Amino acid sequence: MRSFLTLLVRLFPLGFRRQFAPDIIEQIESDYELAARRGTLAVLLFSLSTSFDLVRGALAERWNPTWATARDPDTTGREVAMTMNEWTKDLRLALRALRRAPGFTAVTVITLGLAIGANAGIFSIVDTVLLEPLPYPASDRLVHIAASAPGTEFPDEFGVAAEFYVHYGEQSELLESVSTYNSFTSTLRVGDRTERVRMSFPTPSLFSTLGATPILGRLPTPEDEDRVAVISHAAWTSWFASDPDVIGQSYYISGTNRTVIGVMAPGFWFPREDVLLWVPSDVRAEDITPGRFGAPLVGRVAPDVTNEALADELTRLALQLPERFGGSAAYARLMERHRPVVRSMEEELLGDVRGPLRVLLGSVGIVLLIACGNVANLFIVRAEHRQRDLAVRRALGAGRRALIRSQMAEAVLIAGLAGALAVGLARVSLPLFIRAAPDDVPRLGEVGLGATTLLFTLGASLFAALACGLLPAIRASAPNLDRLREAGRGSTGRRHWARNGLVVGQTALALVLLIGSGLLVRSFWSLRNVDPGYDTADLFTFQIAPERSDLTDGPAWAAFHMDFAERIRALPGVASVGIVENLPLNEGVSSGRYLTEATAADVDGGALVYHTWAGEDYFATMGIEVRQGRAFQRSDHISDLGNVIVSRSAADLMWPGESPVGQRLKSRDLDQWETVVGVVEDVLQYGFRDDPQPMIYFPLVGQTPTQWALSSPAYVVKTPRAESIGPEIREIVREIAPMAPMYRMFTMEGLAADSMVRLSFTMLTLGIASLMALILGAIGLFGVLSYVVAERTQEIGLRMALGAEARRVQGMVVGQGARVVLLGVALGIAAALASTRILGNLLFGVEAIDAGTFVGMSATMLLVGLLASYLPARRASNVDPIQSLRGE
Amino acid sequence: MTDGSESGPSNIEYHVLLAMAEGPLYGYAIKGAVEAESDGTLTPRAGSLYRVLARLMTRGLVREAEPSHAEEPHPGRTRRYYALTPEGRTTLAEAARRLKAVAALAEERLGAAGGP
Repeated sequence: MRSFLTLLVRLFPLGFRRQFAPDIIEQIESDYELAARRGTLAVLLFSLSTSFDLVRGALAERWNPTWATARDPDTTGREVAMTMNEWTKDLRLALRALRRAPGFTAVTVITLGLAIGANAGIFSIVDTVLLEPLPYPASDRLVHIAASAPGTEFPDEFGVAAEFYVHYGEQSELLESVSTYNSFTSTLRVGDRTERVRMSFPTPSLFSTLGATPILGRLPTPEDEDRVAVISHAAWTSWFASDPDVIGQSYYISGTNRTVIGVMAPGFWFPREDVLLWVPSDVRAEDITPGRFGAPLVGRVAPDVTNEALADELTRLALQLPERFGGSAAYARLMERHRPVVRSMEEELLGDVRGPLRVLLGSVGIVLLIACGNVANLFIVRAEHRQRDLAVRRALGAGRRALIRSQMAEAVLIAGLAGALAVGLARVSLPLFIRAAPDDVPRLGEVGLGATTLLFTLGASLFAALACGLLPAIRASAPNLDRLREAGRGSTGRRHWARNGLVVGQTALALVLLIGSGLLVRSFWSLRNVDPGYDTADLFTFQIAPERSDLTDGPAWAAFHMDFAERIRALPGVASVGIVENLPLNEGVSSGRYLTEATAADVDGGALVYHTWAGEDYFATMGIEVRQGRAFQRSDHISDLGNVIVSRSAADLMWPGESPVGQRLKSRDLDQWETVVGVVEDVLQYGFRDDPQPMIYFPLVGQTPTQWALSSPAYVVKTPRAESIGPEIREIVREIAPMAPMYRMFTMEGLAADSMVRLSFTMLTLGIASLMALILGAIGLFGVLSYVVAERTQEIGLRMALGAEARRVQGMVVGQGARVVLLGVALGIAAALASTRILGNLLFGVEAIDAGTFVGMSATMLLVGLLASYLPARRASNVDPIQSLRGE
Repeated sequence: MTDGSESGPSNIEYHVLLAMAEGPLYGYAIKGAVEAESDGTLTPRAGSLYRVLARLMTRGLVREAEPSHAEEPHPGRTRRYYALTPEGRTTLAEAARRLKAVAALAEERLGAAGGP
């Protein structure tokens, strides 16, 4: 907007500009800053009044110069001024004309305003989320590095191990700097306030890799080891009241006391916006056990290095790892298969949201096109009513340009009003929209109607003015002088090509949106009907971290959790309680290599199986079916017998064709055998789109005092009061572990909805867009046919007087509509065939080119089109022959 | 067109002249002074203010000048400073005298009519 205003300064004559332009621009910039501090509305008002003032001042200066040296032979200026003057005159006339046609004005302004408003809203999101650069200097040189091993049973992409970080950092010539990081929630205690917050655990090099500097304090060095923390600006304000003395203070952070050494700038985040602090710790080459995969890398490449070149170098470096760090033969074999995954950090952080946002921007863009089509149609009708008027003006010597200008003036006014309405609509609806959006979309909190969006809205309005007004204006500027001779009646079908063309285009575009949203609806249903292996109804879940110093061994933990579970079970309405270390849909699970008695000799092999820990009535509470054997009993939890339960696919993997119950298994890294006591149904851990992982469940508590894996498990509570039981449980927590934060409180239904939120949100938005498109398209067709019928009233009357049946007349009109719609549907199918692929991984259980959806939506479009044709057709068949002929 | 060239300065012209009475000023400072000294009744926008300035310069009441003190608050940006010419000073004094006379007249009449 600011650059737009400075552009307006160029309207002043050259001499004036030479003397005053820098001063004028300084004043605009300073005042703009002031306005920007007062908010969007102030910027809008300032921009409007300043534009007005500049245009007026420039015109006045050209007309009646105040600056002595301005009297240079600047004739183009005078021409511009004259044109501007004529525009002013035309706009004033148009305003008067529109005031006399309130219906037309209201319909067109509302149609365009809705469409431009939707575009402004989505654009402001796209602008903030996708177009603004990441908050790191030269962020285009930041890359995400992970690992893959095609042809092995490893996932398509997985985090690297510590030796990669060390070796890449020392040996790579293309990487300037590299860091590895992790992030999870852990406990932060400041004074009496104890909460689980998200923290990141990077190597100290993270900040230099990102090019970030603190606003307070300093950055970590390897010498700090893991005794320090750097806090985010958000943590500084919300936890420490922006107190600069926080630097050097010690707080309980993730299990121990650490010293705060730095505060990052507002706006800095990594790798997620909700990370409140960073606990750096370095990796030393001599401490590494190779092959512990899991953490991604962020690297800064030297200028002009392509991802491919880096991938080649890293492939080579990875092959040197077994020699340098040792490891098993399996590790060496894996390194032969290893291929690095390299992509830009921007894609890593924003890639997931880019697709849906582009789909949304595209669909609201289509709605705008359709709306423009409708309004253009109305303008054509309006111009045709004025044919005689225009012909008179032309005959009296009005130039073609003047006629176009006078026609365009109305379109410009309408679009301007629609733009203003759009800004208002976007202001009101944007917050609602953002609340409905998935909350893992980065930077969503910063979205607002900024200057860029206002500029975009201005552009969209100008586009709408051109799209709506130009075609009718050009057509109207060449009025048929013959019309003067006619008594203002009748017309031929030939002139309808433009309007029919508009309807064909609208129908095609609307059908593309309909098919797109149809595919998303089908995906949504498919996802809803996936059986994840567990129930989601009537389940409340939460986590606590007891933070009690007396819990130092397995049995103590066991006693604590059993007592706690017992207390929850005693609450009214609670059917059962379960405990699990990694709750499906909320947390990931880790994996290991497991051997059976048959494969025990293969110390390098073993099946890749995931593991977690379950306790109390976990399987019954979650509704996970026990297929063979039994679920855990209390004796499994308090003994060290080593009983485990495996999932169906783990059983199939380790003992194909055998009964798994009674079989033994062991981790490749440990020397303890476990006995399988039961087989349970597979569960979908990560979401409804993924395949289930083979899984081993260990008893959650009561393993040997030296081997217990319990930190902060998730509780699941089966109760019809899942929505409201939270506070009662919190009371119990306050009694038994006053320092324990209770967090990650959800209902399983909520988690399931969250896991589909990206799809459901896109589906909802695209659904609304396609509904708008369908309605606008139908209105367009209805308008065209109504007009045709009105125009042909006399012809139809004559036909009926000559004995044509009402049904035939109806058929004639509907047939005309059907031809237009059919053409539109054919074009729409072709366009949809070419474009539904961009829905990509939003789709689930349905192909991008799905015959059922294509046929169904085409039929819907056709039906709506026929309905829109039928109403004017019925009017046509009701024409009274006598009445219509009397008009002759 | 009503330039007001023969009939003394207009209200905004008066305030622009007044702003420079203490010494040379640059454009944005003139705007600030006008706003402050008119009690906020005049808030000239960029396009209008510089036309007033241009008019006063064309009439010879204002000229471009060296800043009164060799201070450069914004390095890298050369600002143009404006100052009153002797004629400008006379015009301002004349206008002030007339305003004062008119104000005295108003007070006198209001007083005579038994006003507050």
